[in-house]
Amino acid sequence: MSESSRNPKELVDRYLQAVRFWIPKSQRQDDLIAELGEDLRSQIDAKEEELGRTLDKNEVSEILKRCGAPMVVGARLGPPRQLIGPTLFPIYAFVLKMVLLWIQVPIFLFILGPINLAYANGNWGGAIAKTLSEMWTAGFMAAAIITMVFAIVERSPAQAAAACKWDPLKLPPVRKAERKVSPAQAISQLIFGVGGLVWLLLLPQHPFLILGPAAAFLTGAPVWHTFYLPIVVLSALSLVRPALALARPEWDWFPSVAELVQAILTLLLVNFLVNAAGGHTSGADWHPYVMLTEAAKSSAQYIRVAAIVNLSILISLVCSEVGLAIGVAVQTWRLLQMLRKRRVDRQPAPLPVR
Amino acid sequence: MSNGSTQNGDVFENLKLELRRGCLSLAVLTQLRTERYGYTLRKALADDGLEIDEGTLYPLLRRLEAQGLLVSQWREEEKRNKRFYRLSPEGERVLAQLLDEWQRINTSLKKILQEAELGAKL
Repeated sequence: MSESSRNPKELVDRYLQAVRFWIPKSQRQDDLIAELGEDLRSQIDAKEEELGRTLDKNEVSEILKRCGAPMVVGARLGPPRQLIGPTLFPIYAFVLKMVLLWIQVPIFLFILGPINLAYANGNWGGAIAKTLSEMWTAGFMAAAIITMVFAIVERSPAQAAAACKWDPLKLPPVRKAERKVSPAQAISQLIFGVGGLVWLLLLPQHPFLILGPAAAFLTGAPVWHTFYLPIVVLSALSLVRPALALARPEWDWFPSVAELVQAILTLLLVNFLVNAAGGHTSGADWHPYVMLTEAAKSSAQYIRVAAIVNLSILISLVCSEVGLAIGVAVQTWRLLQMLRKRRVDRQPAPLPVR
Repeated sequence: MSNGSTQNGDVFENLKLELRRGCLSLAVLTQLRTERYGYTLRKALADDGLEIDEGTLYPLLRRLEAQGLLVSQWREEEKRNKRFYRLSPEGERVLAQLLDEWQRINTSLKKILQEAELGAKL
């Protein structure tokens, strides 16, 4: 026969011991436990008085169950424990977001990731896995350090004083409402877009439109046979954005989505063009983008000019690739912000509770 | 459908909690114009229709005591140690102010509800 069967009230002591475990050790711990114990025993006494007999262990157990699980009761009875309180939390969330999304992700995406890929020796999967693993570790460490610093600041007396030190005069000016694409802007985009498309379509027959006088001894490399059509299609698609901005101005989400899609497609195209340069032989035979005409192939001067033009195009493409990658990241962020704003706008704002 | 009703249920529970929070402090302070210990205080509140569990009452009593509105004392009664609470002079002053505020809110709320009822009838 167990102790609680002989003496059901011993269950209360066991319960209090379990609750005590979840209350931080302090002078108040004994006080809280004594008071809770007294309350429970009073409940048992009252019930026994009502029934005219002593309670059995199941009835005592019922009272304890109603009181709540020891961990829950301990958490409620103890002092409120917050790692970072409501005053500091918005700053904490902001710093965390800044460090992780705006500093760390770009560093890994545009600096450390490409470095890992450069030293991958063809093992792209391994390089990506290594970058992701390093990014996760760094993110975890950064989040832990930021949380620790804020937890220390939370417990410092200076924090409360700092919260009171603010000046309404130093608040930033009201931001202008999000600017939509104006009709004039859309029309000019459309005109220049059509002009650009016509220029692109004329290029195969009139290479001087891009090469100028150099068209006399330079001609496009075979790579353009592959990429010419996608470039034309992409240019034609870019006309849809200003056209729809004019036709459907109420679709305020469309410009952001279209810009993102356009940036991603352009990035893919530029990436293929950059990679295409790698497939060519180096030295005098390195002509990934422009080649010498048959008549100019024997001239050392023209060979040098062709090499410089090819290198310039490659550098421009690599720079564009980096710029587009940043653009895609920024555009994605803006789109997510817009979606979040739309979702928040649809929900009623909660009332502040003091 | 069930998601919506669960969400509405959560919203109601949160609003009820907010509504109860202030009222509980007022009820506890009012009850402690007479000296009581935890269990009898809970019982008195429950008898008047305001159930409060141990995990809510004791932290509230400690907070009110820390704010100087209550005084407490451990005393033996019926062969058991019990902690008795009662209003401090500061608590009496604050309670009077709170009751005035409560009356004012109650009057305003009644007026608002009557106007809303009238509006609905028209």
